[in-house]
Amino acid sequence: MDSEILLGDEAVARGAIDAGISAAYAYPGTPSTEIFESLQTYVKQQKLDVKGLWSTNEKVALEEAIGVSYCGKRSLVAMKHVGLNVAADPFMNVAVSGAWGGLVLAVADDPSMHSSQNEQDSRYFADFAQVPCFEPADQQEAYAMTLDAFALSEKLRVPVVLRLVTRLAHSRALVALGERSAQKPLRYVDDAGLYTLIPSNARRAYAGLVGKQAALADYAEQHASNALTIRGEQLPGLIVSGVAWNYLREALGPRLEDFNVLRVSVYPLPVKKVRALLDASSDVTFIEEGYPFIERFVSALGLLREKPLKGKLTGDVPRMGELSPDVVRRVFGLKVAPTLTIEGLDGVLAARPPRLCDACPHGDSYNLINEVLKELTPGMRVMGDIGCYALGYYRPYQAIHSCLCMGSSIGMALGAAHAGVSPSLCVIGDGTFTHSGMTALVDAVHEDLPVKVFILDNSIVAMTGGQPVSVSDEQVVDLVAGLGVKREHIRVVSPLPQKHAENLAVVREELAHPGLSVIVARRACVRYAKEIKEHKRERDAAHHHDGGCQDCTGSCR
Amino acid sequence: MNFDLVLCGVGGQGVLSTAYVVDHAAVEAGLHFKQPEVHGMAQRGGAVSAQVRLSDGPVSSDLISDGAAGAILSVEPMEGLRYLKQLRPDGWLVTDVTPLKNITEYPDLERLFHVLFSVPHVIAVDATKLAAKAGAMKAQNMVVLGAAARFLPVPLALLERHITALFQPKGERVVTANLKAFRMGVAASAFGAALVARGVPRPLVARALARLDFQPVEVDELVVKAWADRLAGVDGAAVAQRVFASRELLPVDVLTANTLN
Ligand SMILES: Cc1ncc(C[n+]2csc(CCOP(=O)(O)OP(=O)(O)O)c2C)c(N)n1
Ligand code: SF4
Repeated sequence: MDSEILLGDEAVARGAIDAGISAAYAYPGTPSTEIFESLQTYVKQQKLDVKGLWSTNEKVALEEAIGVSYCGKRSLVAMKHVGLNVAADPFMNVAVSGAWGGLVLAVADDPSMHSSQNEQDSRYFADFAQVPCFEPADQQEAYAMTLDAFALSEKLRVPVVLRLVTRLAHSRALVALGERSAQKPLRYVDDAGLYTLIPSNARRAYAGLVGKQAALADYAEQHASNALTIRGEQLPGLIVSGVAWNYLREALGPRLEDFNVLRVSVYPLPVKKVRALLDASSDVTFIEEGYPFIERFVSALGLLREKPLKGKLTGDVPRMGELSPDVVRRVFGLKVAPTLTIEGLDGVLAARPPRLCDACPHGDSYNLINEVLKELTPGMRVMGDIGCYALGYYRPYQAIHSCLCMGSSIGMALGAAHAGVSPSLCVIGDGTFTHSGMTALVDAVHEDLPVKVFILDNSIVAMTGGQPVSVSDEQVVDLVAGLGVKREHIRVVSPLPQKHAENLAVVREELAHPGLSVIVARRACVRYAKEIKEHKRERDAAHHHDGGCQDCTGSCR
Repeated sequence: MNFDLVLCGVGGQGVLSTAYVVDHAAVEAGLHFKQPEVHGMAQRGGAVSAQVRLSDGPVSSDLISDGAAGAILSVEPMEGLRYLKQLRPDGWLVTDVTPLKNITEYPDLERLFHVLFSVPHVIAVDATKLAAKAGAMKAQNMVVLGAAARFLPVPLALLERHITALFQPKGERVVTANLKAFRMGVAASAFGAALVARGVPRPLVARALARLDFQPVEVDELVVKAWADRLAGVDGAAVAQRVFASRELLPVDVLTANTLN
């Protein structure tokens, strides 16, 4: 058996390949990005026939994966936790329709919000959709559970969620790899009603999903990694899940022998084992990474008083932020190790926040925006969005005043216009625009209020490490025009210091226009110049060279 | 045996390459390991860190505890101090002394170095300048790894083998420069240990080491003795201060060559 050093993310990718996937789709987002990144590299290296792409957003990625599944083949889709919000509609519904070829969603949560807006816990989503969820504790389990997840998905015809957290996704260890299964053949379902969720069919399908619950409960109850260890009657009990298991072992060491322990890695919750643990134990403490998910169920929100229960809801475990061995030690009143105290240390530690690269085009765009802001009503607000350009919140720019979720800036600017702001400004990256900004622009076209959209077109999805954008250069302009923005109010500027005055004149003209304007600030990201070239080359190569295309540099012209 | 390690620096300084070398060397040495890393927005000059947990048995937690690290390897002096809470009180801080000032509020250097040299076990080398001399500006991480190598539960030869493997795709010249940088670090560290063994107070050793130019070979016994005599002497503190005040790296044989008065 081969062993390789792999990140948790990479272990999932390799598990999926060894499960015989035919395709994988993803939208980048920390800490999930390396799943598809490494999968793509591996597929290329090994010349495997696994299709897929960086999709335009998570919803599309999941829909693509569902397409593969409905045709009987296995597919993986990867995203960060907030990505599942974007994909929630197909997700909730494919739970009802069911999968055909194995369908696994690898979703990476980010407790402590290292690079996210929130700490949402994807176990809730799986529960909401009534589908199973695997929560591996380490890299080896990440690999093995990916294989399990595909097998289960196919056996019970349900999509399966594989929940990762930052510390597993971004941690390396040696992983023993197994055999690779062959891909599945194309096989259609000869009952179209199964996947056509018009109400009459949907009721039947939903009954199917409800009907699967007993089998799913049984599966979770039997799974070896939902391990119950009763060491004695009326010993204190522990329910521990996912990576929290590692911290618990580290923190308690041999003291773990003094507890009854239920380890949970596969959901739905193995309720019979939970019952057995409750019966055998004097009290129960919950150690779980993320929200108090298991604790809420078992404690019935604190209403259950038959045994003392301790966890995040009761304040015995910190409610926010990730766990660590030290956090767990404190929960059990154990000593933490002494540390050095060096006089004056705090005085010489300055934060080193991320900042825009030198010569980043976004900096010049913000200089432009700040200059015109001075000419507008004092206290003017600019709706921002997510990407490198969110760093415009910081000094020296301080040019944006919101950042909620991807694609939200245009809708919020339209709302602000309705609230009476005029002109109403917003900035959005090219990647974020195609991810989920376009639909809001259609609304803005409809209203034609003085909304001024700055599309910061740097030819790449930079923030997450340089993934390709869905459209670039003139395509952006065509897309905006296609959505209904008048060509004369789509202005392209090149954000460069030497063009500042020229650009300023353009922006002023558009601010004077009483309707919707889109200003495309087009200049390539300086950090990912090499990747941008590479993506262009790949796009051209992927073209169908039939001689008819206008903008292709390929052999057809 | 358990040995926890913190690796840190700023985006682009090769922190994750160091992790690669240690991981692979550890596996080959038959050790178990886990290695988490934080590289959220590294490309834009933010702080980057990784941890390596080495053990002869299975490792449970990916994260290390406070006060547990046997060594911190830092490619930037302030970044090294940032993780001090994770260091064991008898652990080593091994760092480059060249500050990377990509922020406006970078602390006053005199205060920074005062704090740095009050860490009980510190090895500070000018990895940036040594790397340049070795022939690869970016090899400062390898100088630091070399300077820390004697604390790691992994044989030197394995570290060198995986440095070679890591840089092989970039060509022979890059491999040679990185190995040279690594060996300069090894020499610096051994020199420091030899001075301490001869009774020179640690803070003086640390200051002197930070401004010396090392070759990728062990420092001559006579040179060690000359430095030990000088630094352990009555004006030792003044000498260390003077060496540290130098703007350029001084050749390590500067004493025997009698150019330092
Ligand atoms: C729903 C969701 N998916 C993914 C992410 C992760 N993410 C943050 S910014 C970003 C892309 C930004 O790209 P772009 O708009 O082109 O801006 P740039 O970073 O290139 O300036 C992504 C994918 C997220 N925050 N939310
Ligand atoms: S990576 Fe690109 S877009 Fe992001 S800050 Fe650097 S130059 Fe700007």
